[in-house]
This record gives sequence, structure tokens and C-alpha cells, in this order.
Amino acid sequence: MKVSKKALALVGVASAITLLAGCASTGTATTSADKPITIAFVMGAESDPFFQAMKVGAEEEAAAEGVTLIWQGDPAKYSAETQIPIVDAVLAQQPDGLVLIPTDPVALQPSVAKAIAAGIKVANVDTHVNDLSDVSIFITGDNADGGSKAADAIATQIGYKDGSKYQVVVGLTSATATTNVARLDGFKAQVAAKYPGIEVVDVAYSESNPETAATNVNNWLTKYPELSGIFAIDGTNASGAAAALESKGLTGKVALVGYDAYPDNVAKIKSGIFTALIAQDPAAEARLAIKALVDLIKNGTKPAESSVVIPNVTLTSKTSDADFAKYTYVASK
Amino acid sequence: MTNNTQTQSKPSASQRWQKLAAIGSNQSTILVAVLVILVVVFTILEPKFLSAQTASNVLTDWGSVVLIAVGMTYVIISGGIDLSVGASIALSGVVAAWFMVNVLGLSPKATGGEVVYGLVLGTIVAILTGLAVGLVNGFLITKAKIPPFIATLATMGAGLGFAVIISSGMPIGGPNDFTVISAMNPSTNPLSWAVLAVIVVIVIAGLFLHKAKFGIYTYAIGSNTFAARGAGINVERHLVAIYALSGALAGLTGMYVYMRLGAGSPSSGTGRELDAIAAVVIGGASLMGGIGRVWGTVLGTLILFTVQSGLIMAGVAPDWKKVVVAILIAVAVAAQTFNKKGR
Repeated sequence: MKVSKKALALVGVASAITLLAGCASTGTATTSADKPITIAFVMGAESDPFFQAMKVGAEEEAAAEGVTLIWQGDPAKYSAETQIPIVDAVLAQQPDGLVLIPTDPVALQPSVAKAIAAGIKVANVDTHVNDLSDVSIFITGDNADGGSKAADAIATQIGYKDGSKYQVVVGLTSATATTNVARLDGFKAQVAAKYPGIEVVDVAYSESNPETAATNVNNWLTKYPELSGIFAIDGTNASGAAAALESKGLTGKVALVGYDAYPDNVAKIKSGIFTALIAQDPAAEARLAIKALVDLIKNGTKPAESSVVIPNVTLTSKTSDADFAKYTYVASK
Repeated sequence: MTNNTQTQSKPSASQRWQKLAAIGSNQSTILVAVLVILVVVFTILEPKFLSAQTASNVLTDWGSVVLIAVGMTYVIISGGIDLSVGASIALSGVVAAWFMVNVLGLSPKATGGEVVYGLVLGTIVAILTGLAVGLVNGFLITKAKIPPFIATLATMGAGLGFAVIISSGMPIGGPNDFTVISAMNPSTNPLSWAVLAVIVVIVIAGLFLHKAKFGIYTYAIGSNTFAARGAGINVERHLVAIYALSGALAGLTGMYVYMRLGAGSPSSGTGRELDAIAAVVIGGASLMGGIGRVWGTVLGTLILFTVQSGLIMAGVAPDWKKVVVAILIAVAVAAQTFNKKGR
């Protein structure tokens, strides 16, 4: 109850700030060093813990830099059609910078162009638009590396031997999210290079619904009775796949490697449901993005690298408690 | 549905067609036929499709949409729409999980009888949560005179917002002893106790719609609100009751979904309102109000999830699900239009 009250207050304050920011910026469009800087942050889906963890980092950095943060995104749906109007609404408030997590590499390209045309500096985090030439900085977890680490974890769990055949499936969120694509590519590349006996027999989408992810796994278990492993490519898929295996009594019998360290899923590493979880550091990504934009807007300092990659880590039952504490996603207060 | 076109193009065979049309124009017969065809096609594509395990998979999915689809049937017959049910599933699941963890003090490690007691109280909390959303809908529609589409769109947004606020966007892991709740997914017997419970609720809801005064009033309001009012029906009070029912069924579904996932997840109801509307329309209800049957909705939902499982089993690219569902909806609505012209 305490948490929800705090959160309610926060929502209220945030909307008030947003309104104020909107009023303030309608007067003059000039940006000077002493005028407070406003950074808009448009993410994918509010209900995704990954973005909740990112929000913690964004709020910390905004407070440290003394900038106003406009945090926006669809409550639940990770899609271009819901994100584009949100970006439009945010741009109408004339922020100085925009951190965008594009839900589609093509559909959000015009939104980036629109921001640039309005003199707004743009950063991409997590996913990116196809043409990055106007984007000041792109920060992401090393998704390809995460995919390759997932392949290693599955191979270890199933006791991979050359010459044997193994069937593995991959649960995705959507066909176009660039993080999904990079993880899948990394996974497949590692499998091809080191584990030729593993065959990726199928993929399916969860559409951001953990129940749909569970449905996909149920159907795969029917179709592939000999299934060796599941790579659940994000937190939603991980939750759904874990529930499906548990309810069928297949805990530990099918190797399950998930992504994203939701507290609920981290607890399931210890109980043996997850072979491993690949964790990212979304808060660090957000901090870096806001810092880079503020440096650029305030001092005109261009980021040293236009593309920054933060490595992923593998969490297993052997991981130390300190690392669990470091990488488990925390809720925003 | 084929009556008109066929008699016009083949007048010589008109008698044969009229006989067939009598059977064919029965919505339930068409739906059962579609279902059988789907099963045959998917079995040809993947022989493992015809199994108890697939039946269990389909029925488990069916259970998580059919209740809100039945609620939606009432709403649509009354001439309205309820877009908030998906959000209510997420909200009630999250609230129930929060309640079990923070009020009852049950951790995910709780076992046996403790879990059962938690789930029973959690179910009541979930139903009350959904009911509250439904009552807000009823109030907005009848007292504030907001059109159902807008009113329920507003509660949908607010519901999702509250679900995220309460859960901080993370799934809340409540008591999830799968030895208790894994009856959801038996590999041998497709009818789990949870699915049986859903069937019981549907039968009661069906009797209320087709055999009780409550149902007659619902049809009357959807067919002609003025006439219904003239006949002495308290339209406002009845509409509030309908949206409250829809909300309560969404709340119950929230608990069903909780038991599938072992957690209350704020993203668990995503898109379910559209699944429900699709199921109701495929089942033969008219979005103009006044027409619809619970049995049609039950079959419509079954068709939706047979398609979903079948496409995965057949290894068809997942994007095709949307195309197939779109075609089913178009055919269902076209069939209704033909039937009306024929009368």
C-alpha cells in the first residue's frame, strides 16, 4: 500500500512537471546554459520490468544532472502504433533532448527525423532505428553476446556431445524488436559455431503477454516430446516458459535459459527452474544516455563513441549473492 | 449463409439448396463445421495435433478468454462494448497476488492447504477487483452518459496504470505450489478442475441469458432501448448490472491466469479484450446489439484457440494467426448480413 501511494504521488508530480515543462517551453525556444534542460524519455511498455529498472537509472541521473525528466510510454503494449503518437505528444512539449527506445526500426525513423528538425537531440537506448546518422548516441546491452551466452548455458545444461542431436526452441516477443533479433542471431551463430548438433526447430511470439508465451511452450512440448531446451528471449517469455514447465512437472528436464533478471525469475534460478538467466543493466544504459545528451546540450560535447555496448552477464545457481543483488531489477520507488 | 447467392446462380438446384440452407444457416452448425474442418486440416499438417495433450492446451487457453467473452456477449447484446476486460485481468491478478503476499503473508514457497486457503481468498479479491472496474464502467456509461467505447477505453488505461503502479511493473510471485495448481495442465485428462469450474460458470451465465428475465431484458435493451424503457425496464440499472457482470468475470479470469503463471503479471491481459470481441463476433453476435448467444461465443473462443495451437503445431509463421483470425471475423460478419437479407 505504501509503495502504491508513493507511486501515485509520483505519477501526479510527474504529470504536473510535464504540464509545467510544456508551459515553460512554449514561451521561448532558445536553449541557454542556465535554462533548465528537459529530457524526454520514451520507452517501450511501462508494464515491462526492464523499463521499470531503466526508469530508476533515468530518474537518478536526471536528479544528479538537475534536468527535468519526461518519462512516457504505453502502459502495456510494446508496439509502433501506440508509441508514435506518444513521441508526437512528447515532442509537442519541446524538450531539449529525446531518449527513444524505438519499438520498430523503420516505423520510428520519421519520429527521429521530426525531433531533429525541431532541434531536439536524440539518443537511442536498447533498440535503434535503422538509420542512426541523426542519432547522437546509441546505447545497448550486448544482445548478440547475450544470445551466444544463452547457447553456452543450454549446451552445458543438456551435456552437449558432438554427434548427438538436440532440439531447441526460441520464444520471441515480436518479429521486429531489434534486441530480439540480435539475441536470436547471437544464439544461432554460437550454435552453428560450437554446437552443430543443436537445431533451432521453432520460434513463436508472445506479443508481450506471459500467458501467450506459456501457450507457445505448451504447444511445443506437445509437438516435440524430445525437446532439450528453451531459450526465452526476454522477461515475459521467461515468466511464461517457467510457468509452463513447472505446471507440466518438467522442471530441470528441459533446459530453460531466460533473459532479464525479474526478482520473481531470479528466485526460480535457485529452485532449479531456470538453468540460467542472462541479465542486462538497464539502469546503467539510461544513466549513460541522459548523461551523454546533457553533455551535448549543455557543453556541445559530442559523445566519444556514437555506439556504446554494455556487456550482459550470465546468472546461474553458482552466481554469488552480491552479483544477484547487483543485477536483479529493482522496482522504481 | 449460402442460400441467396447459390439459389440465384443455380436456380435448378434450388430445392436441394433450401434443404441444406436450413441446416447451414444455423450459426452453431456452421461453427461446429468450421471447428471440425480446422481440426482435420491441422491434423493433416501435424499428426500430433490430434491428441489429448493438444485438447488440454487448447482448453487451458480457452479458459482464459471464454469467461470475458461470455461477459462481452451480454455487453454486446445490450448494444455496448467493454474494452476494459484485458486490463481487468491484469489488475485483478496483480491485486490478488499482492493481497496473498502482503495481507495473508503467503510466499511463493507456501505449500499444501495454506495455498488452497490463499487461492480461495485471492479468488474473492480478484472477483471484487473486476467487479469494481465493472461498476465504474456502469457508472460512467449510465450516470456520466459516456459512450461505452470511450468509458471502457478510459477504465482500460486506468486499470493497466494501477496494475503497473501496484506491481512496479514486475510480476508478483505469490503462492505458486504447482503440485496444487498444476491441475491446470494435466497431460492425460484435458478437463482440468479449473476448466471444469469455467464450464460451470458458463452454464450458469448461459441460463441467465437465455432462460431468465435478466437475459430477456438484455436482448430488449439491445434491440430497442426506447421500447425497453417503455415496457418498464429500468435500463440504467440493468446496464450497470451487465458491466458489473463483465467486470466480475474478468476478475475471475485474472485469478485463472494467476494460476497458470503462478504470479500476478501486469502484462498478462494484454490484447485479451480484442480476443474476446473476436470470439463473440465469430460466434454470431451483432455489434449493433440484440443478437448473440453464449453457445456461439463458446464455440467462437474454441475456434480462436484451435487456430492458435494449430498454427504453432503446424509450424506456420506466427504472424499468420492474425490473418486467419481476421478472415474468420470477416466471414462471420458477412454470414450475418446474408442471413438478415434472406429474412
